[in-house]
Formats: sequence, C-alpha cells, structure tokens
Amino acid sequence: MLEIKNLHVSVGDKPILKGLTLSIQPGQVHAIMGPNGSGKSTLSYVLAGRAGYDITEGSITYNGEDLTALAPEERAAKGVFLAMQYPVEIPGVTTMTFLKTALNSQRRARGESDLDAIGVLKLVRAKAKTLNVSEEMLKRALNVGFSGGEKKRLEILQMAIFEPKLAILDETDSGLDIDALRLVAEGVNTLRDPARAMLVITHYQRLLDYIVPDRIHVLARGRIVAEGGKELALELEARGYEHILKDVA
Amino acid sequence: MTAANLIRGLPEARRNEAAALFRARGVPHRRIEDWKYTDLRAALGEAGVGAVVAQWLVANLPAGVEMFDLSQANPPEWVSAHLGHATGNVMSAASLALSAGGVALRVPKGMAIADPLKLDFTGTGHVRALLVLEESASLTLVESAAVSEFRNAGLEIVLGENAGLDHVRLSPADAEAVLVEEVNVRLAANARYRAHYAAFGGKLSRMEVEIALEGAGAQAHLSGVSVLDGKRHSDVTTHVTHAAGNTRSTQLFKHVAAGQARAVYQGKVTVAKGANGSDSNQSAKALLLGENAEADLKPELEIFADDVKCAHGAAVGDLDAESLFYLRARGIPEAEARGLLLHAFLEDAVAEIADTDQRELVRVELLTALKAIA
Repeated sequence: MLEIKNLHVSVGDKPILKGLTLSIQPGQVHAIMGPNGSGKSTLSYVLAGRAGYDITEGSITYNGEDLTALAPEERAAKGVFLAMQYPVEIPGVTTMTFLKTALNSQRRARGESDLDAIGVLKLVRAKAKTLNVSEEMLKRALNVGFSGGEKKRLEILQMAIFEPKLAILDETDSGLDIDALRLVAEGVNTLRDPARAMLVITHYQRLLDYIVPDRIHVLARGRIVAEGGKELALELEARGYEHILKDVA
Repeated sequence: MTAANLIRGLPEARRNEAAALFRARGVPHRRIEDWKYTDLRAALGEAGVGAVVAQWLVANLPAGVEMFDLSQANPPEWVSAHLGHATGNVMSAASLALSAGGVALRVPKGMAIADPLKLDFTGTGHVRALLVLEESASLTLVESAAVSEFRNAGLEIVLGENAGLDHVRLSPADAEAVLVEEVNVRLAANARYRAHYAAFGGKLSRMEVEIALEGAGAQAHLSGVSVLDGKRHSDVTTHVTHAAGNTRSTQLFKHVAAGQARAVYQGKVTVAKGANGSDSNQSAKALLLGENAEADLKPELEIFADDVKCAHGAAVGDLDAESLFYLRARGIPEAEARGLLLHAFLEDAVAEIADTDQRELVRVELLTALKAIA
C-alpha cells in the first residue's frame, strides 16, 4: 500500500531524512521509533503533504500512485490520515461543523453524495460514545480549551469517522496519562482492519504495549537503522537508543 | 443657501454654530491627525461636499414609534430639545448645516418595541437623523446605508435612563462611492447601546462614532467587521467617553483586507475625572491577504480617573498556516479552508449581534464577500 524508497527530505537547506526506505501492506501496523530529532515528525508531515518540506531524492508511492504529487486534501480523500502530535486550535469553528465539512469534502472528492446534518450527527455520536467524547466537546470550538487527552481523543474520533486506508499516528501518546493512553489505544485497536494500514510513530515503547505492532523500524539520523518484530521495542526500552546507534555506527 | 433649504426645526443658533465650524475647518484631509489614513478632500476632489440633500426611508414604522419629517415646520418639543447638539465633529457639523431633510424618531417612556425599525439612507448628499429613546424604552435599529456616489449622514441618538438600543448597520457601497457617517450617542444612567457595524468599504468609507456615557452605569458595546478587496477603503473611528462612574464599554473590531484594500480602526477611550470604577476593553484585529493590503489599527486610552479597568490591544496578521494545513489534511479544499478560517476570524465580532435575524443577515453578507476574496 505504501512504498517509501530512498527518501531524502530537507527543510530549508537542512537535510532531515537521508535515504529512508519503508514498505507497509494493508492490515499491517508498523511502528517507527526514534530519538528526538531523528526525523519522525518530518516523515509524518511529508506523508500528509505539509508545505516547507523539500523532497530532494527518492519516492513515495501510495496504492501505485505518486503521493507527493497530491495536495493534502487529495491525500485525505484517498484515505491518508495523520493524527497530529499537536492538533491546532481553531476558534470560531465548532468541532461539529468541522467534522461535517471535512467528512463531506472527502465524500465529494470521491464522487459520493453529501451526508445531511442528521446523518453526520448520527455517525459522529455513535463513534464519539466509545471514545468518551462528550456532546459538549462537539459543540465547542475545535480543540479550543481541550485538554491534551481530549485533543488526542478527538484525533482518534476523526480517524474512526473518516475511516482512512492509511493512518499515521504521530506521537499520539505524548502528554497522555495512563488512563487516557489506554482509552486512545483501545480506540486505535478497534480500527485495526485487514484493509487498513497504520504507521505508529513514537519515542517511547509504552504506547506499543497497548498498540502491538507487526513490525518496528528504528529511525535515527534520517534513516532506518534497525528493524524487527515487537520484541525490538523491549530491547530499546531496556538498553536505550544509544546502544543501537552505536551498533550501526 | 435659502432658509427654505434648511432643516426648519433646527434652532438657528445651533445651525450657525455648525456652519461656522465647518467653514473654519473645511473638508478634512490627511494632514489632519484624525484623518491621516482617510483623505476625504482628495477622495471628493473639486466637487467637494456639495449642498445636495440625500434621502431617507422608513419602510415600516413599528407601532408605538413616533416619527417627524425634519423638512417640515413646527417640530415637536422633543425634536427641538435634542436635535443638533454640537460635538466639535467637522463632518457632523457639515451634515447639520447643509441638510435640508432628515427624520426624527422617538420611542416613548417604558415602551419596548419588538419589531426592528429599518432606517435607510438613500441618494447623494447630506442627511440627518435623530433617534430618541425615553426612559426604559427599548428598540432594535437596523440601518442600511447603500451608496453609489457621495453621502454624509449624521445620526444622533439620545438614550434616557435605563433605555436600551441595539443598532446594526450594513453598508454595501459601490467601489467608487464616498461614504461618511457620524453616529453620536448620549447615554443617561444605566442606558445601554449595543452596535454592530458591518462595512464593505468604498472609494472612501468613514464611520465616526462618538459615545458619551453621561450617566452612572451606562454601557456601550461596539463591534464590527469589514471585508475589503480591490482598492476599497474602510475607516471606523470611535471615541468613547466615560463621563460618569461605573460605566462600561467594550469594542471588538475585525477586518479582512485583500488586494490593495485598506482597513482603518482608530479608537480612543477617555475616562474623565471622577468616572471611577469604569471598565473598558478595546480590541482590533486585521488579517491581510496579500502584500498590498493595509491595516492601520490605533487604539488609544486617556485616563483621568482612579480605580478603572482598561485594556486595549491590536494585531495584524496573515491566515495561520498551521490551521490551514490542519483543515486541508482533513480533506477540506484550500479555498474552502481559507473561507472557513476567515469566517472563523470574524465570527466572535458577529456573535456580538444580539438579534438572531440580524446576525444571520450579516453572516450571509459576509459569506458572499468572503467568497469573492478567499
């Protein structure tokens, strides 16, 4: 589903990703672990299509198509979803209005008809319940005054509503206490699907206790330096990143 | 100028005073501090302010509201008592001295009018209006000021004790129109004035608002939005005077300027000696779309009293790139995402409109204007 080959990305004049290669099949959950500054967030932003990241070499192919040629909104309509590390606050747009506009934009781009207000409300309510997102949150301005946990829950709620084919979770565990983490992880696990691929980006092994990946990649200095099964996370936790970085140096 | 061409109910002394002020100062231009960003003399050119008389229209007078045509003789006492109090404002003096017509409206003591009163100024030239709300009366005034050439309108509002006025002003104007309007409000104790000015600019558009909180506990809440493109210009200049204690004022103005448009906000708040316990808050923000758009925001405070709470702020910026990316990453196309963010930027000022019908009307006008520039 997703093929990243020899990807080089610069921000300004500074190279961040230096030859990253990665392949994910439908139904798989991959984790990318790495220390601060390794290029984790750059990878997630490049996949979602944020401006300011220059691809100097390599390719990203998504379902056979050049992903880099698509605008962010086109990627979303084709099923790419990035749960952001820092969801933005947008005063003046209610959460419900935002969800409705986004959902119908994606549907329109796929040639489907709009869901009416009642249809959207029903869909959102059903999904919101399991993620403990209250009616009151949906009426508030998007992410404004939300706690860290509420913001992350809303990201996962969007994932449940938009039903993406490729979901990228960027540091979804950051800023969450253990209860919030468990709730978010449960939400993600219920969305595991043979047709859906997930890329879980994290600094810590903790999240992977709850969202157990099929494959783990260690990202350091802009490249994948180690790969393995879920046991790799435990090794990283026990021995730290430095140990692995030394081995590959 | 013959006597027949003047407002017949205006006491001679007041007219002479206004005429003298206008003669002495002339049409304002950019070398006058208050008009630095709004060169009326240049916009009018050789034609000047002229002596033509604009029209007014009250399509459906709500039951209970009294109306008097200012071109008629023998005005009732409430008209002579309140019409044409000098404010020192030069364009207000011009409209007073040069108008031959206009309208006076009164809501009697204790009367709450449910239906909005719709006052439209039409045509070219000078026009004058007076609105009096007596003690504990209340009203919603909806003003539409569509203009295609030049108009100078002077609107005087007198609010008795405990009276409450909601004022919504929409000013769709041609790109070549020159529009000047002075709103002068005097408030007695515990009276309340809530106003929203939605501006779409013109070749030159100047809204000059003077509020005198004369009685203890009086309140003024001003808000406004402007959406400008092309070479349009819109200026809102306010002066709120807290003349009595425990008075409150809030101001929230939001501007969006694209192309070579220019948005101006000048807001002065004066807290007079003895007006202790007063509370004022001023905020003006502008979003500039494009390098040639301009915003001049100038909040000012003058405090001569003790124990007052005053805050003011101004900010000029561009659309937030993070927010735009977030919306697009969720599938919302760029133009629609920009429109949503612009609408969101203006929304808190629009939400200040108390009347739900009027609020929706302003929203619709804004959406149309935003679609053209997003």
